[in-house]
Amino acid sequence: MSSIIIRNQPVNRQFQHVARSLPQWFIRHKSTAASPEEIKHFQELAPTWWDTNGSQRILHKMNLARLDFIRNTLNKTVKITDPNTFIPGYNYKEFLPESISHTIAKEWNQSLTKELEKRQYNVLDIGCGGGILSESMARQPFVKQVLGIDLTPDCISVAKMHAKSDPELKGKVEYREVALEDLKQKDYDIITCFEMLEHVDRPGDILEQAWRRLKPDGLLFLSTINRDLISWFTTIFMGETVLKIVPSGTHHLSKYINSSEIEEWFQEKHPRDHKLLDLKGTMYVPTQGWVEHDCARIGNYFMAVKKLH
Amino acid sequence: MMFLGSFQTVIRRQLATAAKSAGPKLTDVLIVGGGPAGLTLATAIKTSPILSGFKTTLVDSQNLTERVAKFYDNPPEEFTNRVVSLTPKSKKFLTETLGVQLMHERIQSYDGLYVIDGMTDARMALDQDGMLDMIEILNIQASLLHRLNHLNLGEDSFEIKEEVKVTSIESSTKGDPTSWPIVTLSNGEQYKTRLLVGADGFNSPVKKFSGITTRGWPYDTFGMVATLKLNPLSPFAKLRGWQRFLKTGPIAHLPLPGDNATLVWSTKGNKMSQLLLQLDPKVFSALVNAAFVLDDADLDYYYKILEENPNEPVTNESVIEDINQRINQVWDSLKNDSLIDERYPPQVLDIVAGTRARFPLKLSHADTYCSDRIALVGDAAHTTHPLAGQGLNMGQHDVEELTKALEKGTLRGLDIGSLLCLEPFWGECYSFNNVRLGMADKLHKIYGTDFTPVVQLRSLGLQLTDSLGPVKDLLINTLTAGSSK
Repeated sequence: MSSIIIRNQPVNRQFQHVARSLPQWFIRHKSTAASPEEIKHFQELAPTWWDTNGSQRILHKMNLARLDFIRNTLNKTVKITDPNTFIPGYNYKEFLPESISHTIAKEWNQSLTKELEKRQYNVLDIGCGGGILSESMARQPFVKQVLGIDLTPDCISVAKMHAKSDPELKGKVEYREVALEDLKQKDYDIITCFEMLEHVDRPGDILEQAWRRLKPDGLLFLSTINRDLISWFTTIFMGETVLKIVPSGTHHLSKYINSSEIEEWFQEKHPRDHKLLDLKGTMYVPTQGWVEHDCARIGNYFMAVKKLH
Repeated sequence: MMFLGSFQTVIRRQLATAAKSAGPKLTDVLIVGGGPAGLTLATAIKTSPILSGFKTTLVDSQNLTERVAKFYDNPPEEFTNRVVSLTPKSKKFLTETLGVQLMHERIQSYDGLYVIDGMTDARMALDQDGMLDMIEILNIQASLLHRLNHLNLGEDSFEIKEEVKVTSIESSTKGDPTSWPIVTLSNGEQYKTRLLVGADGFNSPVKKFSGITTRGWPYDTFGMVATLKLNPLSPFAKLRGWQRFLKTGPIAHLPLPGDNATLVWSTKGNKMSQLLLQLDPKVFSALVNAAFVLDDADLDYYYKILEENPNEPVTNESVIEDINQRINQVWDSLKNDSLIDERYPPQVLDIVAGTRARFPLKLSHADTYCSDRIALVGDAAHTTHPLAGQGLNMGQHDVEELTKALEKGTLRGLDIGSLLCLEPFWGECYSFNNVRLGMADKLHKIYGTDFTPVVQLRSLGLQLTDSLGPVKDLLINTLTAGSSK
């Protein structure tokens, strides 16, 4: 399949060739489900999910970048209402003394945090795995509650167990082994879908189901990997085969999705009620962890989409 | 018998319930040790808009809230003997970031260091206005307690458990280092904590619990401290610290406000420091003066006489007289009198009673400063020779970096006790500290020998450094932690 044809097709149709090769019972089962092979793979990873020096270290590191991306995006949606906060021009750091610009930045950040804390978001984390992102979100002062869902039973039990070890998370995070389309609740402020679309057979269905469960003005955060030679080289060849920092069998190049394909999916399915807030590439630099860059057409990327009405 | 049996069961059941209801108290951060590092960390957490929500508990064996805190409002007239140099970077962190008001009248800022090789008379002058501040450790502690007190925090936010010791530490789930540690105190109280910080010095119980190994060696050297009373300073005298490397170890004379100064005299072996500790204050003062002016051979002679005639008034008188005479001879040999103030520290008249004390010196560096649920700061992570005045400042740098790591981790929704959150702290501190520990260690070794080639080389090095501006700037930059003005 050439890339031009792929671009002209909606995402959920691109993977019909994969679906065709699967047993019939599975296709009829759930359109938002992952294949049994994927579930089995994550079942095996579940016990070491929270070992930050173990097989999932790189994912733990990536989670730091996710949270930075989410906070930066949210900060842009906040308007400071406190009249006492001075909002400086964009290049204030260049012409003000360090101590003054430092104080301005500090007060500005505090006001932003205060505004953000007034919002009490309801968050849905699709494909929560062992709960790395769900826990980090639940600890944010602007988050009221997080529901993490996943189809791998062992991941759900690991996530539940781990959340129990921190009293701060009590009542703030909940995990359920449930398919997205079976989820009744439909009023989420934030839905996250990180490193997940490349593990399902019909990513378009996931996007559609997630979109329906988002409140107007809600935000959808997602991340996945562009389907190109560089992604294959970094995530599969280097990550899984050479350096072995990603568990072998985690990725399949054919399931990767280009950022342009997601944009096109939104253009086609929801042309009037979506707004792309941010799109950033992200790459792993061994001494610095995951760093953001502006070339979102290559390798891993983060995306934030707002539902307008 | 049956009656007795059921009675025992009842008792046992009651005890079990009692233990259950008085289970460990929960806290987010438990800091063991209320020295400068521990108190600075507590203040940093409680003044940080991001971290102030974390319940913090500080444990110390001393009485902090009365005995130490009263130093702020009722300071003694004389200076205490535990004095440290504070780099501009550490001072900025304390006063600007944490908003601590230090007791300014008890701080002496000075404009340089004058270093002399006692064997060859090679000299180096490091000059920078307001290069370092001399400050009493009690001043730092009391000022921090004052700041904490003014935050008016409730017991559910910040608590000091004083006059208690840590008797045991164990993981709440055996064999799982990521479970919250339970700390038992000598008064029987138990705390279960998200993050356990060891600010508890070289023999840190927290470090022992963590299993983190430490590398280093003792120096077989004692550091002696005392508060000096000086001859009133000439108005032309420079405010600088003086350090002379003698065969027996470095002696340093650092300015305090008024006619006061503080002494740090390192000497090899137990015997000599014992002698210095027991000498008559007047003789001791004369010896300090001699140590900055006379030769090693002269000093050896005095030590020998004094050792043979312990505290004999006649001997003492003659030694003092002899020292004064010889110092005058050296001064007379100078080209002009202004060189006296340029090359030698102000004369010591006496020492403040009860301020002479000694402590063993050693180099130690923990392999890492953190593990699951554990962070080490200050002397628990590293101890050094005081010759470069870096010990306290390294601790302050640890706290600053740990606070940054906790803030960043909190913004990213991490558990602040997780290794993932703590790792950057160690990454930032280890090499910074290693440079300073290594520098002090090499200096100690280079100056601890009278092997002629080494002595010649080190003197050449000192003279060269003195005449090479950029090298000197680099040295000043390292000593003042890079916050050149």
